[in-house]
Amino acid sequence: MGTITLLGIVLLVLMLVVGGHQGISGFLSMLVNFGIVFFTIVLIAFHFPPITVTLIASAVVLAITIFWSDATDNASTTAFFASIIILIILVALIIPVENWAKVGGFGLEDSEELEGLSVLVGINFTKIAICTAILSALGAIAEAAIAIASGLDEITSVHSEITAAQLMVDGVEIGKQIIGTAVNTLFFGFFGNALALFIWLTNLHFSIGGMLNDKVFVNELIAIIFSLIGVVLTIPVTTLIMSVRRGRVLAKKNLENNKEIK
Amino acid sequence: MKKQLTSKMTWLQVGLAILSCLVAVLVTSHNDQFYDNPIYKVTAVTNGKPNKVTDEFENEDHQTEQKLQGYITNGKHKNQRLSIDNTYSDSNAMDHKLKVGDKVFITFHNKHSATVKDLKRDVPVVFLIALAISLLCVLLKFQGLTVVGSIIVNTVLFFCAIKINNDHNGAHVILNFAVLSLIFCVITLWMVMGWNKKMLVALTSVVGSTVGTILIMLVAFMITHEKGVYYESMQYVTQLPKPLFVAEVLVGVLGAVMDEATDIVASLATLKKEKPEISARQVFDSGRQIGKSIMGPLINVLFFVFMAETLPMTLLYLKNGNSWGYSFSMNMSLGVLSSLVSAIGIVLTVVLSSFFASIWIKGDES
Repeated sequence: MGTITLLGIVLLVLMLVVGGHQGISGFLSMLVNFGIVFFTIVLIAFHFPPITVTLIASAVVLAITIFWSDATDNASTTAFFASIIILIILVALIIPVENWAKVGGFGLEDSEELEGLSVLVGINFTKIAICTAILSALGAIAEAAIAIASGLDEITSVHSEITAAQLMVDGVEIGKQIIGTAVNTLFFGFFGNALALFIWLTNLHFSIGGMLNDKVFVNELIAIIFSLIGVVLTIPVTTLIMSVRRGRVLAKKNLENNKEIK
Repeated sequence: MKKQLTSKMTWLQVGLAILSCLVAVLVTSHNDQFYDNPIYKVTAVTNGKPNKVTDEFENEDHQTEQKLQGYITNGKHKNQRLSIDNTYSDSNAMDHKLKVGDKVFITFHNKHSATVKDLKRDVPVVFLIALAISLLCVLLKFQGLTVVGSIIVNTVLFFCAIKINNDHNGAHVILNFAVLSLIFCVITLWMVMGWNKKMLVALTSVVGSTVGTILIMLVAFMITHEKGVYYESMQYVTQLPKPLFVAEVLVGVLGAVMDEATDIVASLATLKKEKPEISARQVFDSGRQIGKSIMGPLINVLFFVFMAETLPMTLLYLKNGNSWGYSFSMNMSLGVLSSLVSAIGIVLTVVLSSFFASIWIKGDES
């Protein structure tokens, strides 16, 4: 048995014991997400337009991650729309910045690995860098949107008379609580992932200026910052959508009440 | 009246945020004199005809020669005019298509000939950093500053640990990063929860589940004789790969585990305070309830962080005539492994933080 298979089984058993039915769907969503990422790469290799493929894949990933979590219907619908809007805003930011920084492709640090590989494969690697940046932010956006939407949903179910405006204030409060910890998850994830690169660069006594211009380092760094911006934007966007939906619910209620009075 | 005041303030803040981004861009685009390497500014470009190239796997690409005119902007050759040849391809994998106004670092071969080394890309990086900080401050006010502060503290600590690692040529890498992780945990949890019993409960759970996770991983390595673990596919490795991989996983999972433990312990403490009569068993069960709803999304956060960056190299392997299986093993398998191990850590944290909270939290904590 391979190590990946064994650890996969350990994880499945643990998730089943801890989360029951919910644990299984968490495990499945990770499995399906892997399939989607791999399939995305294969489609790009077949020269499908990279950014379009990635955007479609991203929408599917967000839907799976959000609707297979155990958030309530109201919370997950809100979280899904919020994360799609954030995805659009983020893509509008990622495309120009990636074209500006031109970090696509490979750096001198990759030379050893590239030995014997042809890099002139006719696929624009700046576009690939855009796809990479979008994909790395997906999990973080989904998680933040679910957390805020669930928190707000709980408030509306406890205080059934809360107005849309009050909800806006509460959303920012909940957002403040989750942001600190969400940032930690992201940053340690990236630190761990790029540990070897950091060791390499500091070994070569790169200056700060040298690092801020190094292709591979900048590629990692701006991917973190895009995810961070995505998480920060989740707070106002999710709250706004929740309060718009709340406004509609209240308006409907008022209408019904008025009818009853008549 | 009050509403107007706050909205007015927000507009002022938005204005300040935009201004600070602009200032950051302006300052960074005029910092050439601080670099030791010669920087070259392109003032005119003549493109040649695209040349079709086909490799042995029948990938088609086009290479184009560019003749650049420009001048040096810093150092002892400042203002010297120079013409440089540059070649770019459609794939842009290791070359750049340059246009008028671009700044590049160059290497001199003799006084009048030079080649393009790399692009000067500090301006977009600094712009993005300024944008992120402004967003944090505008949306979260003071809290945003604390977030920025904790990122800076963690980054400094992280680079200190790397420095220590390099001074010892990578010996004791696991011990080194384990100590660092412990310091990270204490500082971060202290900042988030304050110095109290809740924080100690969270700290114990974080340490317990991280150690447990690493042990599970090592046992799994032993049982399967590391079948399907391709350390040779690790990038940028300058020291023994296995301990480095363990250290990577250790640091990578830490943030998520702290995030989760804080969440669960804080909620359980509130619960116990509101209803002191509930039993330890009930506290444990509510902890599990909270945990199981956050663990799924959290696992996906790390999954995408670990997997996304394998995309370019996997793609290149596929385009170089390798099979799906081989491309996966050489590029994505370690990412999948880290995702699985950190997912195990995230699930263990649910159990441990609920357990420790149920036996130690008495409901009288501040």
